[in-house]
Amino acid sequence: MSLDLADARVALDFVLPAEREAHEPPEARGVPRDGVAMLVSRAAAGEISHHAFADLPALLLPGDLLVVNTSATVPAAVALPGGLAVHFSTPLPDGDWLVELRAAGGPATVPYAGGSPGQRLELPGGAVLTLATRFTPRLWRARLSTAVLPYLLRRGEPIRYSYVRRPWPIEAYQTVFGTRPGSAEMPSASRPFTPAVVAALVARGITFAPVTLHTGVSSLEGDEDPYPEPYDVPPATARLVNLTRRHGGRVIAVGTTVVRALETAARAGGPRPVTPSAGWTEHIVTPDPDNRLLAVDGLITGLHEPRSSHLRMLAAFAGLDLLGRCYTAAIDRGYLWHEFGDLHLLLP
Amino acid sequence: MCGRGPLPSVNFMMNTKNAVITGASRGLGLALARALAADGWSLVIDARDGEALRAAAAGLPGGAPMIVLPGDVTDPAHRDDIARAAADLGGPDLLINNAGTLGASPLPAMADYPIGELRAAFEANVLAPIALTQLLLPALRRRGGAVLNITSDAAVEPYAGWGGYGAAKAALEQASNVLSAEENLVRVWWVDPGDLRTQMHQLAFPGEDISDRPLPDSVVGAFRKIINERLPSGRYRAAELVPTGVPS
Repeated sequence: MSLDLADARVALDFVLPAEREAHEPPEARGVPRDGVAMLVSRAAAGEISHHAFADLPALLLPGDLLVVNTSATVPAAVALPGGLAVHFSTPLPDGDWLVELRAAGGPATVPYAGGSPGQRLELPGGAVLTLATRFTPRLWRARLSTAVLPYLLRRGEPIRYSYVRRPWPIEAYQTVFGTRPGSAEMPSASRPFTPAVVAALVARGITFAPVTLHTGVSSLEGDEDPYPEPYDVPPATARLVNLTRRHGGRVIAVGTTVVRALETAARAGGPRPVTPSAGWTEHIVTPDPDNRLLAVDGLITGLHEPRSSHLRMLAAFAGLDLLGRCYTAAIDRGYLWHEFGDLHLLLP
Repeated sequence: MCGRGPLPSVNFMMNTKNAVITGASRGLGLALARALAADGWSLVIDARDGEALRAAAAGLPGGAPMIVLPGDVTDPAHRDDIARAAADLGGPDLLINNAGTLGASPLPAMADYPIGELRAAFEANVLAPIALTQLLLPALRRRGGAVLNITSDAAVEPYAGWGGYGAAKAALEQASNVLSAEENLVRVWWVDPGDLRTQMHQLAFPGEDISDRPLPDSVVGAFRKIINERLPSGRYRAAELVPTGVPS
């Protein structure tokens, strides 16, 4: 029987109390990066337990493979004189970018509904952004007059939403694995990984493999589907994923971006389960039985907003019932949401 | 959703592997064409000498489609033909900018390098590969593709007489370096194959015996590793890469 996705969304609708939002990096609260909390759910057993992130080596087994995202965070927000801001989300093959227009408001910015095709926006440093067409209700297809990445590295600031009360330097948004600049927002599930935790995992016999997926802005309405994102699953990683699963190890994605990349590569039509591939992915992971997970067994991720598309992906791992109990427990026990918050390890 | 242009599906991307190789009638270009054809790549190959190119094409292994385009990469119309041919194959996954010229032979000193010859060397070794890269970049981005530029240790070492060629290759290296910083969806490699027993190398040492230099086929393993493993963007020396022979 096919799962009714509308029901799935309703089941994962809840009220997120403001005190459950992480308003700043854990370091600002006196907690080290790897000192955040981690809720662990086990799908087969239907069990939930509560841990510190630093327990991760003991929670995994030798032969498990952690797949990490090497995309580094770009300071993707550019403020214009006059209160408008541009969030650079995602590059397109022809050199256009998907951008979101924002207006000053509250402690950060709010969506800006204006803009018209052909409109030219003067950005700091003499660059000109020309709006082409609307791509989604929220995103414009646009062209910058100079190379976008080098421009942002010089002129941009990290994207920040109102629940983060003050600006933080770009270093607060980088992860230990981030080596290829390109994400508009931090692939935040890997933020708590420190060299010490990685060393403990390696010593335990757990392996690592990289993929890249440059993630765009997350400011979608609850009912919007994710848009295409550029990804890269290199040959060595595809081999390790296939090898791990063939020998009974578990492939654990560090972040929803990694799930999207690997499940895309699992549908690339090659002779092996996961085929090296790169390009743009439009694949959406859902709990629909016709869309079952082909490459990934488990997931480390943050805590997601009510009705977000990420919750549908999580339901593919945990099922709706267990996921609902996880989120109830997370709210009851004071877990923190968003990119500077706590983690959720979903095991098979 | 309005304005949502078609983006390629994964299946589309994986159906074929298509490469453009310039200067494929002999030397390293021919060796690379032979290797990729044997690996099942579809090819667009070019060279100035049409007769030599057709003869080379006739000897390539494999049954994958091949488009043979005699012409000069410094000619914009010819570059357009290359881009169209790559699109006809379904779009390029790999551009190998191999075509190049030594410049004046015998090699003159910088002090009296004929400026006309120098300009021609920069046209062929710097501007043409950049222009071809520009033409193919949108399609390469779409397919998560790669640009491989052939460079030389003459780009970094002060070999007397190699100033024209070396300065042009240095320019190509820096163009590659900057391109790799601007493009995070396309791999950009610039690869020094080392001294090889080629016609170009013979031109640099007219009348000398260069039979101690290895044949171009001896370095294709290193290129296979870079291409098949999709190594990170950057400068590589063929001699540093030991092929493992592990199938991907």
